[in-house]
Amino acid sequence: MDTATHMLRTGRRGPLFEVQMALRDLRASGERIDLAWSLAWHDVVSRYRGSILGPLWITLSMGLMVLGIGVLWGELFRVPVQTFIPFVAVGIVFFGTVTTTINEGCDTFVQAAGMLSQTSLPMLTFVWRTVLRNLVYLAHHLVIVAGVLIYFGYWTTANYPIAALGLFFLVANVAWISMLVAIVSARFRDIPQIVQSITQAAAIMTPVFWLPDRIPARYHLILDLNPFYHLLEAVRAPLLGKTVAAHTYLFLAAMAVVGWALTFALFANTRRRIVHYL
Amino acid sequence: MKPPPLKAPPVSITCRDLTLRFPVYGVDAKSLKKHLAKITVGGKLGRHHGATDVTAISHLNLELKAGDRLGLIGHNGSGKTTLLRALSGAYEPDEGSIEVQGHIAALLDLNLGIDPTATGYDNIRLRGRIAGLSSKEVDARMDEIAEFSGLGPFLAMPVKTYSAGMQARLAFAAATAVEADVLLMDEWIAVGDADFQKIAHKRLLKLVERAGILVLASHDVELLRLYCNKVMRMEGGVASAVTDIKKLDELLAA
Repeated sequence: MDTATHMLRTGRRGPLFEVQMALRDLRASGERIDLAWSLAWHDVVSRYRGSILGPLWITLSMGLMVLGIGVLWGELFRVPVQTFIPFVAVGIVFFGTVTTTINEGCDTFVQAAGMLSQTSLPMLTFVWRTVLRNLVYLAHHLVIVAGVLIYFGYWTTANYPIAALGLFFLVANVAWISMLVAIVSARFRDIPQIVQSITQAAAIMTPVFWLPDRIPARYHLILDLNPFYHLLEAVRAPLLGKTVAAHTYLFLAAMAVVGWALTFALFANTRRRIVHYL
Repeated sequence: MKPPPLKAPPVSITCRDLTLRFPVYGVDAKSLKKHLAKITVGGKLGRHHGATDVTAISHLNLELKAGDRLGLIGHNGSGKTTLLRALSGAYEPDEGSIEVQGHIAALLDLNLGIDPTATGYDNIRLRGRIAGLSSKEVDARMDEIAEFSGLGPFLAMPVKTYSAGMQARLAFAAATAVEADVLLMDEWIAVGDADFQKIAHKRLLKLVERAGILVLASHDVELLRLYCNKVMRMEGGVASAVTDIKKLDELLAA
């Protein structure tokens, strides 16, 4: 049994102590990452219990969306299908992972209320649960990406190691955003609605369904300052055989560092209160 | 009941000057404060850092070692369950400290982590994982748990198809399949039909005997006399001294 054989809980002893306790939670959640994995897997299995295709249903509907948008919008924007469908396919799949991980982050602690209020499980376990669950879904959707890349011949020019690096940056950033909204949503129940509005707006403002080079130069700030654009571009560009701009990595690295620092500081500060929010 | 032999790292519970306040968000209890402070149900309402809060436990000191079976008595809302949850590690103290040596098993809510759409087997697995068992350990205990539950082929069916009694059997079998040095219980658990209650009782007793420390909150005085050797009374978040169970009547009269 790997539950704590020694448990110490104390009152506040200054900010440094709170950070130490938060780090301890982080370490404990890392040691029990298999528990987060079990919970995530259970979520995936139970959501699609009784359905024959299971999670492939979202893959299927996503595939139809890719096809529809790829063909119709490609025609509207006068972009050849060969370039537009792969662009939209990769975009929808990875942007979907970004938005659902963030949206579902709102429920992370709210859903775990029962367990949090009577066990000493690390709180971050539930953050990893949400992230891992969405990575499982992503694994399903990669079928679309693989299919499109192979069909349109991009698989020969795709740079997989760089795409994997991009995925790392994507997950590193999405994880802190998911955790941030988890904490804030536990306290203020209006946050999930706000988060959903933001991710919805992001879907329109970010080049998922439209090509970034179509935007006039004077509006380029929409791309340069859009974190979602950089998240997406780090994975999409290498898969489509393009290079990723250096400032995208810079942006993502800075965002990860600052984001994690802020989120972790918030976590250290609210950790003992979160269970009472629920 | 004889105290069990001492285990390698000594099992113990130490609470020092433990104070727990529950912030109440979105409610301004200011106007109710004066009234509520006088009644015996619930903790004390007050304000800290601008938010209304309830002092659920105030300056509690507790020292338990292997062999101690502590009964908790007190009105509804006197802080018994809060204390149990704090001992399980779920709540962080606002002041003071809690230190527990040994594996903790909290049988506070049997339905913890039960997913009605999942099968009996899946639920046992999930519950075991939450309780801190590895997948292998759960698998190793699966046969024993399945047999004890007496649910047989139903374990492969979703829990939502179970009757309430069957669900309780499953939850009980899964929840008690742990090894614990420190056992926390909110009321003695009695589930199922007459036959099952008998074997459930035996299983629970075994668990209690194996555990170094038992903390049992109950309103049933006779039950406490039966299973506990010490008793503590909670009132409005304030705990009495830990006294011998033989002095339970004096404690109740006080």
